[in-house]
Amino acid sequence: MLTVTGVSRSFGGVYAVHDVTLGVAEGEVCGVIGPNGAGKSTLFNLITGHLTADRGEISFLGRRVERLAPHRRARLGMSIVFQAARVFRGMTVRENVMVGMHGRTRAGFVSAALRLPRHHHDEREIARAADTALTRVGLTEWADRPADLLPIGQQRALQLARALCARPRLLLLDEPASGLRAGEREHLAALVEELRADGLTILLIEHDVAFVTRLADRVVVLDLGQVIADGSPAEVRADPLVLAAYLGQAS
Amino acid sequence: MRRLAGGLLVAAATLALPAVLDDSALAVYILLGLAAMVTVGVSLLMGYAGQVSLGQGAFYAIGAYTAALLALGGVPPLAGLIAAPLVAAASALVIGTPLLRLRGHHLAFATLAMQLILLSVAGQMEFTGGDIGLQAIPQFGIGSWEMSSAAAYAYLTWAGVALVMLVTYNVSTSRPGRALRALATSETAAASSGIPVGRYKLAVFALSAAFAGLAGSIYCFYTGYVAPGSFPVLISIQYIVMAVVGGLGTIWGAVVGATAITLLVQGLNIVGALPGMPTYAPSVLSYAVYALVLILVVLFLPQGLLPALTRRLPSRVRARS
Repeated sequence: MLTVTGVSRSFGGVYAVHDVTLGVAEGEVCGVIGPNGAGKSTLFNLITGHLTADRGEISFLGRRVERLAPHRRARLGMSIVFQAARVFRGMTVRENVMVGMHGRTRAGFVSAALRLPRHHHDEREIARAADTALTRVGLTEWADRPADLLPIGQQRALQLARALCARPRLLLLDEPASGLRAGEREHLAALVEELRADGLTILLIEHDVAFVTRLADRVVVLDLGQVIADGSPAEVRADPLVLAAYLGQAS
Repeated sequence: MRRLAGGLLVAAATLALPAVLDDSALAVYILLGLAAMVTVGVSLLMGYAGQVSLGQGAFYAIGAYTAALLALGGVPPLAGLIAAPLVAAASALVIGTPLLRLRGHHLAFATLAMQLILLSVAGQMEFTGGDIGLQAIPQFGIGSWEMSSAAAYAYLTWAGVALVMLVTYNVSTSRPGRALRALATSETAAASSGIPVGRYKLAVFALSAAFAGLAGSIYCFYTGYVAPGSFPVLISIQYIVMAVVGGLGTIWGAVVGATAITLLVQGLNIVGALPGMPTYAPSVLSYAVYALVLILVVLFLPQGLLPALTRRLPSRVRARS
């Protein structure tokens, strides 16, 4: 579904990501781990389009996407949950989730200003999708509250609802567990397991090894911008290179 | 229910005022309405979409010059009234394409520069009448009917305000409005929700310019005269102050802010013209008041007058506003 081939990106002559190749198959949960500065965030931004690659190819659903703007990639079916709280301020929880449907609807300024049938049709669809997504992550009772007043764990859940509202083909999670308390982390992990059971394809970029090995079918390990291991959680955990680069350092 | 009643009361007062005001008070009432029209656009641009424009007066001027040139060229005034917002919006699309790549202070200065450039160009070109401007612009009218009373202009102006408010309300409570509020928080997250951020910023810039252009065209028919001096940079600052004082991102706030500032400036003009005051008093007072009011509001009512007032209402009423 997603193939990254020989992708590199440097900042000021230093490679943040160097010749990285990885693939995510349909229905798979793929985890990317690595120590701080391994290039995880850069790789994530290259896939979503917030950075462009110096070299290499990225294809999604059989289409080359490395030159596409982020909103175009989103419209092809990539949805993102960001690490930093990126809930939209000044909007309710429900409105935040409704934004997720933007790429799947068309009513523009003219339809909205003149309240054309297109507007009413899209609003109905958006509301329905938003309610489904809110129920899914358990935020229904918070729906009419200002989004920026939610605790951090629920902001993450809100982002997940917004991402799901777009009915994505591929869900990208950037360090979803960071900053969460144990209970919130458990709740999030349970949600991701449910999504996996539904067959959603997920790319999970995460610092927390235990979180990834619990959820991922396959784990890719980055170190210093390069892939040093790629395999099942058990294989990766036993890999001497990984132990040296990551687990050894972490202990 | 109370909201509806409140709306009807405001509408009734708006309609009744032209009948009771004398001509000099009507002039204030019309200029207030025109300022409110532009300020609603500024509030949409700044409050909803998070983009700053210190050059909104430029679009007001473009609208006024467009309507004036068309009317002097023999085009029916109604066509000029419709063309003015369209030309202002088209100009915003052209100017905004490079400008909206800038953010924050950079965008503010660039829009300010845009107005300064436009004013000096208008002061140089022959077809705009140079520094003297364009005079003897025909009255607004439709067919053989000619609008000559100030009261009629007041109705036209406030009909324009109502239209602009309705459009803004409809846009802000729908898919494009949510997209604008989203990109104001985070362009990255908005883009990843499928929102073409650049195109939406351009669209809202053009929409706010159209509001200013509409106000400008009514201004030109009402005064019968446009010149670069009619659109000083201070006018753009005034719209920002009005929007901030009323409450950014609230539609009624723009009207409340425009009213508060206009009445305040009028009051100060009267004070400044009192016997014994120095000749520079009126202009100094009006400049100083923008600075003072802006500082006070930002310090004590950061969300603006309207949200501060409605917060004192029972929460049941507030939930709907």
